[in-house]
Amino acid sequence: MIRPAFPTVSGRSVRLHVPDARDVVLLHRQLGRMGVGVVDEGAPDAMILDIDREPSRDVPCADGTATPVIALVGTETPSRLRWMLDLEPAAVLVKPLRSTGLYTALVMALHAGERRRATLRRIEGLEARIRCRHIVVGAVVAMMTQHAMSETEAFAFLRRRAMARRMTIEALSAEIAAPNGTARHRLESRKASPTGS
Amino acid sequence: MHALPSSRRRPAIPVGLVVSQSGPYAMMGRETLKGALLAIEEIAQDARFDFRFTPASRDPGGVASAYHTACDELIRQDGVDHVVGCYTSASRKEVLPLFERTERLLWHPARYEGFECSEQIIYVGASPNHNVVPLANYMIETIADEVFCVGSNYVWTWETNRVMREIVGAAGGRVIAERQLDLGDTSVGHVVDEIVARRPPALFNTLVGESSYRFGQALHAALARAGVSIPMLSCSLCEPELRCIGPEASVGTIASSVYFESVRRPENQAFVARWKARFGTDSSPGVDAQATYVAVMLLARAVRRAGTAEVAAVREASADHVFEAPQGPTWVDPSNNHCFATPRLARSVPGYAFEIFWEASAPTAPDPYLSTLDATAAAARRRSREEAKMRRPTYLRVVK
Repeated sequence: MIRPAFPTVSGRSVRLHVPDARDVVLLHRQLGRMGVGVVDEGAPDAMILDIDREPSRDVPCADGTATPVIALVGTETPSRLRWMLDLEPAAVLVKPLRSTGLYTALVMALHAGERRRATLRRIEGLEARIRCRHIVVGAVVAMMTQHAMSETEAFAFLRRRAMARRMTIEALSAEIAAPNGTARHRLESRKASPTGS
Repeated sequence: MHALPSSRRRPAIPVGLVVSQSGPYAMMGRETLKGALLAIEEIAQDARFDFRFTPASRDPGGVASAYHTACDELIRQDGVDHVVGCYTSASRKEVLPLFERTERLLWHPARYEGFECSEQIIYVGASPNHNVVPLANYMIETIADEVFCVGSNYVWTWETNRVMREIVGAAGGRVIAERQLDLGDTSVGHVVDEIVARRPPALFNTLVGESSYRFGQALHAALARAGVSIPMLSCSLCEPELRCIGPEASVGTIASSVYFESVRRPENQAFVARWKARFGTDSSPGVDAQATYVAVMLLARAVRRAGTAEVAAVREASADHVFEAPQGPTWVDPSNNHCFATPRLARSVPGYAFEIFWEASAPTAPDPYLSTLDATAAAARRRSREEAKMRRPTYLRVVK
């Protein structure tokens, strides 16, 4: 698959939470020129949100999974800026809106969105591994008691086997925890490794 | 037919002309000024206009910050609502905030790299989809998908090369190298040496002004010595520049442009004749000069339709109004304030001229953000080139 090396915004979608009709007209016009669609529902790629408006229920708050936000800043008062910080905006546009700046803000927001999704996937993976920690400990203990290994030897063995079989230590540990798991792995290990002890 | 009113009695509308008649791209500036003056003179002679333009000219000398001073003076002191000019993107970016703040209108004749869209600018020159995209597609289809890029070190080159890289990359080819010289730098020897040593299958030249002319000469001499020929592509080279490069070195470049002097259409033949009558038979209108002429003509027609020179009314009146320009029918697309234009490809031939070998069948909508660019379509073009190669009769085999 060919992945464009440069940021593009064409074909992406944005939802507007902007009360000012003039701003809405300008945003619609500029986004249209860039090939960006404006959507009212569904999951957009980014959201442009005027922080001068009343925080309300129809504006999703930043909960870590939310769409990246481009904040429109009008009155630079501490209360508005506090709300803006809560939204964790990916980019900021200062009013009055002009022809310049929107493209940059959009590129930043889309990039932040991609990075946020990648980070979330990574965190999910790490959390899953933490949840499996007791299984790994169980497998290490099983290898130690059943095959007279030291803790270091048992863990090194698991890591080597997992790498050879292109699986995670957690998945391997789960296999070992199954009935007769340790015996089978000890045997295979001897066959596979001629220099093994 | 009513008597032609004396142009002196018609109300005068001042128009700012901000072009660099000195500095690194002075020649282009002087050419664009000619285009503007020719249009202003024709409007003064034309009974269909009940006003005349008075030119207020400034020379920023190719210094970006001087464009701001020039436009500021024109707007504040000369009371100008409309300015025609700017050449490099650096100069346009310099004045854009001024035009937005003062709500005046800049008529911008030069082609540029896109990714901008101001309500206070009418972009008369070509958009990137009008020149670099057809050029890159043609290169992949018929020449090569590996290219060496040489250009002037500024945003136009950076972004134009980016588009080239994307299209070539999507076709499975690559940009072999990118070399850039500072604007006005004429020490081209090391780049020429590298090109001769590496012998790329194609060369993409985005140098501007003196750098480009010296490079063209030096490369031609070096390739002749080495007995090599490398196809060179450009999306800015125009007739007056061919003269600066010289009778032999200027031949054989493939250029992409929305205007060549050789465009076959009555409006252009008449325009070229008027141009030569005014500026000499040795003089040729280049794409930028023609675009400057078009910019003034579009402005005049919009003022006539609006019945006023007031900016908002003129901008509104300029939309969708077709002008039968030398380059073909052209009009302002109100959705982005850029102009429709007809992409063309040509080869430079002896006699400082271009021979057009391809043109779009109709004026193409401007797409400043390249929102409709499908780089993956280039992959299909590459396949078509390979198939064409395979179909080639065996007796036309390449002999090295």
